[in-house]
Amino acid sequence: MTSQATPIRRKLMQMTLLTSGVVLLFTTASFFAYEILTFSQSTMRQLRTLGQAIATNSTAALAFDNADDAQSVLAAFKAEPHVVGAALYDNTGALFATYPEGLSRNAFPVSPETVGYRIEDSHLIGFEPVMQGHRHLGTLFVRSDLGAFYDRLELYGLISALVIALSALMAYAISSRLQRQLSGPILGLAAAAKAVSDHQDYAVRVPPAGSYELDLLTDAFNHMLTEIQGTEGRLRAQLSRLSLLQNITRATGDRQDLQSIFRVVLGTLEHSLPIDFGCVCLYNAAAESLAVSTIGPASQKYCNELALLEQSTVPIDQNGLSHCVKGDLVYEPDARRIEYPFPQRLASRGFFSLVFAPLIVENKVFGVLIAARRAAEAFTSPDCEFLKQLSEHVALATHQSQLYSALQQAYDDLRQTQHTVMQQERLRALGQMASGIAHDINNAISPVSLYTDTLLEREPNLSERARSYLITIRRAIEDVAGTVARMREFYRQREPQLTLARIDVNAVTEQVAQLTRPRWCDLPQQKGHVIELAMQFGEDLPQIMGAEGEIRDALTNLVFNAVDAMPEGGSLTLRTRVAAGADDRQSVQIEVIDSGVGMSEDTRRRCLEPFFTTKGERGTGLGLAMVYGMIQRHSAELEIDSTAGSGTTVRLSFPVYNQAAASPADVAGARPIDRRLRILLVDDDPLLIKALQDTLEEDGHLVTATNGGQAGIDAFTAAQRTGGAFQVVITDLGMPHVDGRKVAAAIKGLSPGTPIIMLTGWGQRLQAEGDIPPHVDKVLNKPPRLQQLRAALVELAA
Amino acid sequence: MARLSALRRSVCWRLATLAFACSVACAATAPSEYQVKAVFLFNFAHFVSWPVDTFRRPDAPFVIGVLGTDPFGSTLDDVVRGETIDHHPFVVKRFQDAREVADCNILFIGRTEPVRVDEALAALKGRSVLTVSDADGSEHRGVMIGLFTENNRVRLRIDLAAAKAANLTISSNLLRPAEIIGGNAPPETAQ
Repeated sequence: MTSQATPIRRKLMQMTLLTSGVVLLFTTASFFAYEILTFSQSTMRQLRTLGQAIATNSTAALAFDNADDAQSVLAAFKAEPHVVGAALYDNTGALFATYPEGLSRNAFPVSPETVGYRIEDSHLIGFEPVMQGHRHLGTLFVRSDLGAFYDRLELYGLISALVIALSALMAYAISSRLQRQLSGPILGLAAAAKAVSDHQDYAVRVPPAGSYELDLLTDAFNHMLTEIQGTEGRLRAQLSRLSLLQNITRATGDRQDLQSIFRVVLGTLEHSLPIDFGCVCLYNAAAESLAVSTIGPASQKYCNELALLEQSTVPIDQNGLSHCVKGDLVYEPDARRIEYPFPQRLASRGFFSLVFAPLIVENKVFGVLIAARRAAEAFTSPDCEFLKQLSEHVALATHQSQLYSALQQAYDDLRQTQHTVMQQERLRALGQMASGIAHDINNAISPVSLYTDTLLEREPNLSERARSYLITIRRAIEDVAGTVARMREFYRQREPQLTLARIDVNAVTEQVAQLTRPRWCDLPQQKGHVIELAMQFGEDLPQIMGAEGEIRDALTNLVFNAVDAMPEGGSLTLRTRVAAGADDRQSVQIEVIDSGVGMSEDTRRRCLEPFFTTKGERGTGLGLAMVYGMIQRHSAELEIDSTAGSGTTVRLSFPVYNQAAASPADVAGARPIDRRLRILLVDDDPLLIKALQDTLEEDGHLVTATNGGQAGIDAFTAAQRTGGAFQVVITDLGMPHVDGRKVAAAIKGLSPGTPIIMLTGWGQRLQAEGDIPPHVDKVLNKPPRLQQLRAALVELAA
Repeated sequence: MARLSALRRSVCWRLATLAFACSVACAATAPSEYQVKAVFLFNFAHFVSWPVDTFRRPDAPFVIGVLGTDPFGSTLDDVVRGETIDHHPFVVKRFQDAREVADCNILFIGRTEPVRVDEALAALKGRSVLTVSDADGSEHRGVMIGLFTENNRVRLRIDLAAAKAANLTISSNLLRPAEIIGGNAPPETAQ
């Protein structure tokens, strides 16, 4: 016991000793009082008895006057030491005999006094008659000191002291035993209470004390402890469940896909609740069945014996699941008693306790959380409550995940749309710019085209070299025209009008090699690097159908990319070959292979996007995009094999076409019309006017050229008035103030039968869009080809 | 053994006191020997028990007899006058011849009659009569109580066997101041 034990023990002891002491004191005091009150009477009675005995014995001595005998009778007082004096008087009142011997006679009364006993001078004295029958023989005098009284008091005091001492001893002994019955349990209670408060150990119990009231107290205390323990246990369980719920919620919060959420929930449940088997099924309301979505990691081993594999379905019949999919949590304490197949299946594998918790989102059950334990009736009410709450959390997390996915999808779509819109905007701006540039270029090269055609046709005496140069110039002009035409495709979303021709792939590839020579040979050499070009051309390649210019541009782009990928030099390979494509159709492959830096996976994935570039300011981000556009327009395939650091192979696969398509080059052989025509030429470009005028006049026509729309209209009006009306009007489209449309409208108003040919840098576009302006009979692209011009005149003026 | 029930009966103690006081008063000046002995005789009646059939009637007198010469004169008569014991009035009778002695409870034989002692004793043998004598050595001859003088005081000498033979019971109180001879002496009650 601790030092705290002392006070109560001491108090109890003190109480006991004090009580017994006081009781004893009162008892002895009253005893003393009684004794003091009764002593004189009892002493007197004793003395009287003694006196009477002596008196009786003294009769003969008095009767026969024998003083010696009287003396000897009185000597009997020796037996009573407190009798200090005695005397016999005869019937005359004379002193007859005295006791003790030798005591002066003066010490006795002279004559006998009144019969009786009394206290006188601290002595008890008495006079007793000596009678023989009725005869008075004399008187006995007795004197006794109070020593007996004091002796008695002393004796009583001694006895009292002894009794008190003994009683105190006994009381101490008894109380030290008895107080333990009181203090022991109380101290036990105190110790238990202290232990409980110190260690929070509510499993402490106080043993019964063996006394009714203390047992009541102990029982109450123990009961309280039991209650607290129970409450504490429930609180702890609740806390651990809350913590578990929080863990699960946190874990699910980190995850966005259903499987992952379900897996972490089931894993935590298996480990921490714990459960023996757990899975999540998704509810298919239409099919009235559940599809197993996820099985807990530790439950996987039971899958086969339960025939519950992921994605397998569980029909919902009149079992607990039917209630569950209506939104109720279902607890089956013993699945063996449920007749339906699904609980039976679980029960047959030793899972007796089942809980089906619905996963509800927006008042719709979308799934069921199934938890099972092997023992029957193994789920407590708090367990079920926990599972219910958990299922709500899981449903919420699932819902959030779905919302997140939807949001992500929407965001991605939005970003894609934004990207597309931006792209289109860029392309539109670029297209507008390109359109203006194209118009100007077309105008600029139109004289070149016209004069080249004229020279080739009208000058038979040209040297072979000059003719060859002119042919090259004409091809270059065509390429420029084609390039300008394609520039417009940037902002055009519709399929461009391809003018397909038979193409010799090897020739085109060779041309590209030659065209790009400055980039792969000259520039690197200036920097001291060497790029070796290898051309591996397959033999007897079939022709393909395609736009030669586009293909050439695409290959040029690819060669530029390859060169850019080899800043330190390397090897560049151009390879052509025939390959068997899908469904046995042959294809012609062109490969551009470099030994350069290659592309990372990310770069490779994005390289086809427009404006994606790795070249910084130098790159436009349009090269591969244009290549891809060409590929798509040719129904070809593009493959890019690349690894960072080990070069890139770009492979273009063109399908082989056996039938030939009609070629616009057919018009090449058109002859000039055999009549002389009066032609009005309206344009705002003096160079173009001059070239057209020269060319048409070479063909024998009368050409009047006017600068600008208004001038053209005025000239046409004047000619009509003078009778020399123009038979054909050729007008430009884009002119300041009065454009080609107004010119056309005015002329048709004056002379509806006069054919109008419109020349335009946007010619292809107008044709492609079906946007031929009213009153215009024919639209010709700039730069106009001589043959086309002739064909148009033949067609309209014939 | 029943004492004389009469002993408890009324005694006219005033007379006795008077007689005794008178005798003492006389003795104070010249205490007469026979005055003392007369009182002793009277007192014996109180310290001795007679058989119950001693008295024929309840009021039969208690007789103190004097054999031979009467040394008391009137003294004995004075002492017993008016006295009773258990309703038996005291009567003093004088006998000259032992054979005359009848209906006597106490018989005093004076020292002047030593010859008569044996005679009287023989005559009284078997009868409940207390015999008293002051003749020297009489107690050794069969008298129950002998009176002798010592230091001027009358002393008693009692033959218990003789008293017992006469079917008399002597009070132990009487035995204390007396000297016991013959028979089985009772223990001293004092000393």
